[in-house]
Amino acid sequence: MTLICPQTSTSDNAPTSLTRQAILDTLPLSIAVIPWGILTGALAIEAGFSAIQAQLMSLIVFAGAAQLSGITLIAAGSSFISIFTSTVVISSRHLLYSITFRQHVEALPLRKRLLIGFLLTDEMFAVSEAHSKRSANFSAWFAIVSGLTFYFFWNLATLLGIFAGEYFAELDSLGLDFAIVATFIAMTFAELRRYPVLVAVLMSGFTAVLLKPILADSYIVLAALVGMFSAYFCSGSETISGQQASS
Amino acid sequence: MIWLILLAMALITFINRYLFFAAVITYSPGPKVKLFLSYSSYSVLTAIWAPIIFSFDQQSHFQLAGLDYLLAAALAGLLSFYRVASIIVVLLSIALFFLIRFYL
Repeated sequence: MTLICPQTSTSDNAPTSLTRQAILDTLPLSIAVIPWGILTGALAIEAGFSAIQAQLMSLIVFAGAAQLSGITLIAAGSSFISIFTSTVVISSRHLLYSITFRQHVEALPLRKRLLIGFLLTDEMFAVSEAHSKRSANFSAWFAIVSGLTFYFFWNLATLLGIFAGEYFAELDSLGLDFAIVATFIAMTFAELRRYPVLVAVLMSGFTAVLLKPILADSYIVLAALVGMFSAYFCSGSETISGQQASS
Repeated sequence: MIWLILLAMALITFINRYLFFAAVITYSPGPKVKLFLSYSSYSVLTAIWAPIIFSFDQQSHFQLAGLDYLLAAALAGLLSFYRVASIIVVLLSIALFFLIRFYL
């Protein structure tokens, strides 16, 4: 698979096969997030949220790590400043997704940009990037369907946690988080024979494992930047169009 | 009070996601920045999954995930490296994972 700069899809047609593909591609990650969603719902109730507030958090904030950290801080009676700082730091990695997707969405109408922006999670970014690289074409429809699929599962899991959290105490031991490992490996290892990609994977993985115990809020974005810079400096003759300059 | 915090958190996460989609931001990445950004998915996805397998505990002791995680992740890595379709990689490695976890 060569890395061809994906073109922004201008057509508005939405074939059912594309819709089905987007849902299927998002499914493993959606299932993996269920225990986390249940935990978020259950913890919010424990922290003193009403059921409506707990559900609303997943409906409008829609960010797992930021929500869990926010709930923990609210429960501990932390200051506004520390809650908002932690939210900014944790969700800062979305800036990276936003700037990466910019070239695909800048020509889209405002309502589509707003919707894709709202739905832009780790999972939607991963699945849509993989689809863009596979088909050499960014599809706004694919991104929206993938994002909505994940949104549906996240909110359903939160709802389960709010009303039935105590019945799911064993869910953690199922190992559903392996679906994250499987999906993300499947999305990266096919390109591992490209030297800069190998460097990106090794450096970001190594940095993330080292930083996670000390910088729980920011290790993902910091490790990703280390990986990206290392890959960039090792990119040699690689260009954005995927064509190796002849030397 | 909680309402206010929820609204502010929603605003923060939305701004971080939407910022570079906004028409008022006129910055557009050149070829060098685009090349740099083309490595973002590999980097960020690895930064998310690697700590599930490899970690350090409170006493800074290195820890590996269980054999179920290790073998199934190795299978996923091997199949993906040889360009087996993603959906097959995910299904086979998850099947192996649960096989080891619940039957061995």
